[in-house]
Amino acid sequence: MKLRLLYFLIFTPICLFSQIPFVKDTIQLQGDSVVVTATRSERKLSNVTVPVTIINAKSIQQIGALRLTDILKEQPGITMTSGFGAGVQLQGLNPDYTIILINGEPLVGRTAGVLDLNRIALGNIKKIEIVKGPSSSLYGSEAMAGVINIITDATTKTPLQTSIRYGTYNTIDAGVNNTLASKSIFYQGYYNYYATDGYSIRPSTASRVTTPITRLATNQQFKYNLTQNTNLLVGMRFTNEQIKNELSVTNGGLTINSNGTEKNTDYNVSSSLNHRFSNSLKTSFRSYITRYNATQNLLTISGAPYTDILDHLFNRLENQTDWVVNKKLTAIVGGGAVMEGVKSSRYDSEKIRKTNTNQYAFNQWEWTPNAKLILIGGIRFDQNQTYASAWSPKASMLYKINKQHRIRLSIGQGFKAPDFRQLYLNFTNAAAGSYSVFGTAQAQKVIGQLNSLGQIGSLYNNFYQLKSLQPEYATGTHLTWEFEPNAKSFYSFQLFRNDIRNLIEVQQVGAYVTGAQIYSYLNIGRAFTTGLEIEAKHQFTNHFSISTAYQYLETGDKDQIAQIKNGTVYTRDANGLSRKLNVSEYVGLPNNSKHKAQLKFNYNNQNGLFGNIRALYRSKWAVNNTNGNEVYDAGDSFAKGYIALHLAIGKDYLNGIGFQFGCDNMLNYIDALNLPNLPGRTFFATLKIQKSQKHIL
Amino acid sequence: MKQILKPFLLLLTLSSILFSCTKEETTIEFPVTAITVSNLPADTVLGINAVTGMPFSAGKYTFYSLERNAIVPNADSASTKWDLAFAGTKILINGGTSGTGLGGAFIYTGLFDNVKTISNDSVFKTDNAPASFAVTYGSGKGWYVYDQLTSLVTPLAGRVLVIRTASGKYAKLEIINYYKGGVTLPITASDNDKLSKQRYYTFRYTYQPNGSKTF
Repeated sequence: MKLRLLYFLIFTPICLFSQIPFVKDTIQLQGDSVVVTATRSERKLSNVTVPVTIINAKSIQQIGALRLTDILKEQPGITMTSGFGAGVQLQGLNPDYTIILINGEPLVGRTAGVLDLNRIALGNIKKIEIVKGPSSSLYGSEAMAGVINIITDATTKTPLQTSIRYGTYNTIDAGVNNTLASKSIFYQGYYNYYATDGYSIRPSTASRVTTPITRLATNQQFKYNLTQNTNLLVGMRFTNEQIKNELSVTNGGLTINSNGTEKNTDYNVSSSLNHRFSNSLKTSFRSYITRYNATQNLLTISGAPYTDILDHLFNRLENQTDWVVNKKLTAIVGGGAVMEGVKSSRYDSEKIRKTNTNQYAFNQWEWTPNAKLILIGGIRFDQNQTYASAWSPKASMLYKINKQHRIRLSIGQGFKAPDFRQLYLNFTNAAAGSYSVFGTAQAQKVIGQLNSLGQIGSLYNNFYQLKSLQPEYATGTHLTWEFEPNAKSFYSFQLFRNDIRNLIEVQQVGAYVTGAQIYSYLNIGRAFTTGLEIEAKHQFTNHFSISTAYQYLETGDKDQIAQIKNGTVYTRDANGLSRKLNVSEYVGLPNNSKHKAQLKFNYNNQNGLFGNIRALYRSKWAVNNTNGNEVYDAGDSFAKGYIALHLAIGKDYLNGIGFQFGCDNMLNYIDALNLPNLPGRTFFATLKIQKSQKHIL
Repeated sequence: MKQILKPFLLLLTLSSILFSCTKEETTIEFPVTAITVSNLPADTVLGINAVTGMPFSAGKYTFYSLERNAIVPNADSASTKWDLAFAGTKILINGGTSGTGLGGAFIYTGLFDNVKTISNDSVFKTDNAPASFAVTYGSGKGWYVYDQLTSLVTPLAGRVLVIRTASGKYAKLEIINYYKGGVTLPITASDNDKLSKQRYYTFRYTYQPNGSKTF
């Protein structure tokens, strides 16, 4: 009976508010040092066995970050990429391999594997947790490089907050966040409006690198404590993005105009019913529905109108039970089912949704044999309708040598399922040579049909090797030593290595009679990323602190290295004559910098005055295989290393009014070709009004 | 035609003499040496069409004789006097649909110096316009790559054009550069420079006049 009421509540939470009797809330508010992403349960950061970074709301606000991209790009070990929106590259692995969660539920809507993190507004975020290393044992597909979990918390009793910001390129951001809370009911509503004129940093074109964008985002969260031990959480998120593309290319005095619009909408509804049976047993039922729709229309003066649609629907049901077996042993068991589907104009029919279902089960055991040691082992099984199933084990440990020294070690396997594009793409690019790309689910059939029509000129050997794709796998090892000599200093040294196999790569499998290429996808690549991360923080006085970080990264494609060793990869000498490439000239995977470093000065006083200067350095990275030898080497094009210097200062008054002023990219570093997301020097000013308010409902 | 003929680099001559000394001291052979041809224009861009915005050129091939190491006048295009014809990134051999000669070619992946003998099972292709050409045409398919981002053409390293000439002799050829002066322009070069300074071939070749397949 009660259960039925609960399900009813999921869909109509507001109208029932007044009828619910108030019950004392016994669920503890999370402190900032609590981590949920590492183990899918609340743990103190000092008791977590895997490498985790926590970014709290205060640091987001104090640097003046608006979108998720703004804050992630300043984190050690993270680089933002710029094709298909701003994606995140974690420890040298591409954006496809990091899962992005909002309150534990995945975001969907990737273009070419990239999830544009500019979609996420930061105004109501409580904290962001970043787990480095394969985490598929808990999160399944995509959690190969790591997990980024964005946590908004309805139960934080924040008063009414409004903020408005204005900056260079007519960039406006306005947000309202309000919490209503009683003893049993919490409501938080967040509204954000963002608009920018965009900017152009390419000299010979009027087109804008960042085009005019308008974004709306809202987030509503409800929490209802049904009884002392049972609560219900409902979250609803909606974002809408409108982008104007006015491309104008001037060539030899002649201008070609094309204009278009792009509209992206993204919503999700999540609900969870949580019940605590006893102090040692609790369970959580979760349901999640999300949909991402992207529609692009482009009109050019010289060609036909062009429409591109992507519609991704993702539904998930999940249960997780946490069991404290005894003082030394706790367990998490869970399982769920995912039903997802994608419609795209790049598939054979944009009207038919391609679907896929996935069932999974996971468990994790945490053993604390003594006060110094924590051992965790877990495994997850994912069974899929369209591609091979995957086992994802992980083992990790934390050893507290003494109060000052800690060692963490984790070894895990992650996987990324073949995505819809790799299965169902059916795309012929009429604008560029009429080449075609066919997803593996249909490639043999479609190419076979074309062959019977006499359109196929040749088929390569690997055409006959096309079969159902397997997931891509990564095995990652992270060893971290943390040293805290005193309450004011913190040092961390981390070694990491990820070995990736079964990489899905686009390969030419044949050619049309006309010579145009035909591509499909094969599990062929092997790669690695390995490196070192060092972090140091020191609090000099009560007001002033410094933090610094450095990352050294090596990456490589193992098959390419083997080819170079075999002497079948060539380059040119100083006279332009061909010679064999040496392994020492190989630079690894593109878009990866060997060295990254940052230095941040932070000031905060008791009167609400704050300021920070952040210097971020990135060494050169390979962008383009200009010499055409298919590997990235010293003879290719590199983007130059650079320093981005950012400043923000502000003051929060006791009456709730706050001002902030900032300057990003103070050195005005511009690289239009390789860093389209980095405008020149920009300024902003923010006004915040936060009213202390009684929590009335 | 600003064509600079470099008879040869001293170093290579010396090395080939050394080579012949150690191996075949008694045989008297015409020394087969590599010749470098620089700045050979190949239907260079003349300007930009004010209506379409597209670059235009005369649309004429530059015909070349490997035997005589000289440009052949366009008037002789229907003869067997030429071995290769260049226009933009397109290279024709004097055979098949392109000419009346015995010409043929294939692209060997490897180093120029390592092509010492053409094995007997090598298949020489001939031109079959417009479907296929002996020297495969297109970015990444034959001897060069074109980068759409930078608009630059880069000859692939480790590609040797193994050529049968109009008269049925053999030659090997490596394309070194596609820009005037023999140096690829920086990616930051102006669009105008990228257009006007392209289509100038620098290549080296070895021609075997005795009709054998050994260089």
